Amino acid sequence: MTIRNTLRDHGQRYRPRMACLKKAEKVLLEMQDPKTGVKSQPQRLVITTIPHAITGEDILSWLADRFQVDTQEARNVGSMLVALGYIYPLQDHKRLVIKPDASLYRFQTPYFWPTQQWPVEDTDYAIYLAKRNIRKKGILELHEQEQYNRLHKWMNHKWDFIVMQAKEQYRAAKERKKPDRVVFDCQERAYWVVHRPPPGTVSAMDYGLERRIEPNADETKTPDFYERIMIFTQQSIMRPRVKSSVSIGALVKYCATYNNHDPFLSKCLPSNPWLTDDITYWNLNMTNVAIPTKMRVERWTFSFGELLSDPRGRDDFRLFLKKEFSGENLAFWEVCEDLRWGAAVTMREKAEQIYKTFLARGAPRWINIDGKTMEITVNGLKHPHRYVLDAAQTHIYMLMKKDSYGRYLKSPVFKDTVKKAICPEEQKFTDAQLEQNAKNRRPSLSPIVLRQQEQEQRAKMAANAPVDITQLCRFTTPVPHLAVYSGITDSPPAHTSPSLPFLANTTACPSPISVALDSTSASERRVEASEGEEVENPEARAPISRNVSKSRVPLSLRRLLKRGCTPATMFASLSPKYHSAAGTSTRIKPICPDQPSQAPPRRIGNFFQIKVDIPPECRIYPIESEDEDEENRAASRGGVGAKEIICPWESLTPQNEIGQ
Amino acid sequence: MRRWRHSVDELAARRRQQSECERAHQALSRVTSCFQQLAASLGSTADSSFLRDELEETRTLAHRICCGLSRRLVRLVSLSDSCVEDRQVSERLWVLLLSALEHFLSDLRKASDLIGQFPLTQRCDRNSLINTGCMDGVVGVAAQVALVQVPWLTLEEEPSPDLTCHISGLEDMLTEMQRRVPVAFWAVEATQAAWTEAHGAVDEPDHSLEELMDVEVVHGNKMATCCQPMCCGLGCVG
Repeated sequence: MTIRNTLRDHGQRYRPRMACLKKAEKVLLEMQDPKTGVKSQPQRLVITTIPHAITGEDILSWLADRFQVDTQEARNVGSMLVALGYIYPLQDHKRLVIKPDASLYRFQTPYFWPTQQWPVEDTDYAIYLAKRNIRKKGILELHEQEQYNRLHKWMNHKWDFIVMQAKEQYRAAKERKKPDRVVFDCQERAYWVVHRPPPGTVSAMDYGLERRIEPNADETKTPDFYERIMIFTQQSIMRPRVKSSVSIGALVKYCATYNNHDPFLSKCLPSNPWLTDDITYWNLNMTNVAIPTKMRVERWTFSFGELLSDPRGRDDFRLFLKKEFSGENLAFWEVCEDLRWGAAVTMREKAEQIYKTFLARGAPRWINIDGKTMEITVNGLKHPHRYVLDAAQTHIYMLMKKDSYGRYLKSPVFKDTVKKAICPEEQKFTDAQLEQNAKNRRPSLSPIVLRQQEQEQRAKMAANAPVDITQLCRFTTPVPHLAVYSGITDSPPAHTSPSLPFLANTTACPSPISVALDSTSASERRVEASEGEEVENPEARAPISRNVSKSRVPLSLRRLLKRGCTPATMFASLSPKYHSAAGTSTRIKPICPDQPSQAPPRRIGNFFQIKVDIPPECRIYPIESEDEDEENRAASRGGVGAKEIICPWESLTPQNEIGQ
Repeated sequence: MRRWRHSVDELAARRRQQSECERAHQALSRVTSCFQQLAASLGSTADSSFLRDELEETRTLAHRICCGLSRRLVRLVSLSDSCVEDRQVSERLWVLLLSALEHFLSDLRKASDLIGQFPLTQRCDRNSLINTGCMDGVVGVAAQVALVQVPWLTLEEEPSPDLTCHISGLEDMLTEMQRRVPVAFWAVEATQAAWTEAHGAVDEPDHSLEELMDVEVVHGNKMATCCQPMCCGLGCVG
């Protein structure tokens, strides 16, 4: 019936990080021993004396003696006991630290210990606040007032009970003798300081996430348990080994390099936001800041990985590559990362787009990888998966690292960045300012908003990216919704193709991957019928293209037909023998007209066919320029220009359209 | 005419029952508050067999009140369908009872754990009791408990269960009550606005207690703080 607040529930259930509580309890019990425990003295108040007050120095000396540690360590342990709520200070009750002087402390009664198996209820807190309200006639601290109002709103249904119970507890407490009343009130106040800390303080009861099972509990020895041990041991045996001198050397080098950059080990300029609640450091180191900090720029020189993993560093590197006209490497690497980490839904389209933009012959941003890698990649693209581009990506990464990175570090771009980098001064805050900072803490942007911003950023970049393709063509446009970094501006040409309906793509952002089979059948039909006849095949999605000539530039079917290629050649292209030959080569194979024509096979296997849709004024493929017009008309996809690739995997789609 | 008189009688009876329940609520609150005061001394040097006996007595009294109250309220809530205000009052009492029972149950659990952790069976056990500074002042509290009057105290006599049975019995009672009578507890609203208890009539201005507690702080400021600034940055945790 109580609406349980599981967030700040400090019950001991599965709080394995708080295993220290049980141990603290044992220590506390030892402290009570009249002979060997901590010396206690009476606390003198105005009207009475209360026994069992202990001084900070006595506690610390006892701890140092008991655990055989030095005073600093004893202070840490003592502070922990106070922070957890086993000992509470009598003076300055809000600061839960141990002071190594004659300031007084007292032990907390077991009823208010944090070890208890039960959660800290908001109901109890509400009753406590109401009691305080009664006693102090409405003068509560600011955070207590806020909590009171919040609880009044959320516990309105039991508010009568809370007030009634508060009054009764107040009255019951009055029945006790004065000194005991004081003690009880101090105890209760200390309990709530621990469990509902005022803002700006760090609570020792923060223990992180809850666990499903208790890790300290004994695990039953089931067969599954032993199986896991066996698997673990087998994997340990199979692991590769490194000499300890090598690995330790690497660790030492890492520590030496990063020592000054670690916020725990050295100063964080201007100030550590977690300590001072001042977010200048985060603002200065944001992702898209114009002027980075000196420390950040220094980190870029440590390794290529550092440079790439920092978005600002990557931007700088991108700028440098743009000047060198080798931006496609970085773009390819980024797009491979996107494929690896992206959603599975769009993976296929992304892979196609990447192929079109980077890997295909005559691609606008063709990357230079060796033949073997290209072969592996292209073969892998038949069945695209997340890691299909790994080999190519690694190759490009090493290329950039060995070649461009070194030049980048010596380049004027980088030197300029280093010169402009800022080194903020260290901030010094007084205690009052720290409290003010703590009060002004605000939550950061929600991750949903951040993700949206990131996506907008990426889309903007994809749209405005510098054109650094090797072959300039304004019709090789990216598919907008995939935001592939093809670096090409979006210029949707409007094409209509009444005569080649099977070239029409039905989707808005079409993937011009064809069912090669469809194209086969359609092209067959085309050949059989006369050219220009419309073949209605709404199922067919894409182009028919064949590599006609032996030239490296691919041609479209139409061009082929216009040139009067014989059906024989076309059929030749469809022959299975040809396909197997095509499958083994890495380059797009031109059609070999010498091959005997055969009946068109049921499947077109491994065959890359590229069609380029280029207007006549664009002189990239000078040989085929005369057919450009028709190509324009041929492609009637909205907004996507087009290089259409009949990628091999598409041929594995259902063959039900063959028989038509 | 007879029907009208009948309904008036019904109404009067219901009002009587409601006021009886309200008085019982008050009594239950008092008893549970006293129970909490006693339980706070468990495990400390003020712990003694006298304390534990008082605890037992308080608990049995609370048990008696709880049982009677729950029975009456179940009857009341399931019966009152006629008048909206009556229904609201009954629901309010119902929600109050459930909250009180939950609160008392958590206290009982704590007490049971503490009694298990600090058994007083042998003399050497007293060495491990915590020196909290409480001497013992529970006599006044015990007297308070004795003064509590329940309307039906004399009518029903049931055997009082021991602690663990009491706890499990209460848990069962809670689940049973919630299951049997569907009351939308969020529909109940507080009759008092916030902050009213602060301005209510307090028997005596209790300044002295605050002054006592504040006196300690005054002394504290004169002490030299020797924590270094880095420590202070973390606030409460050193």
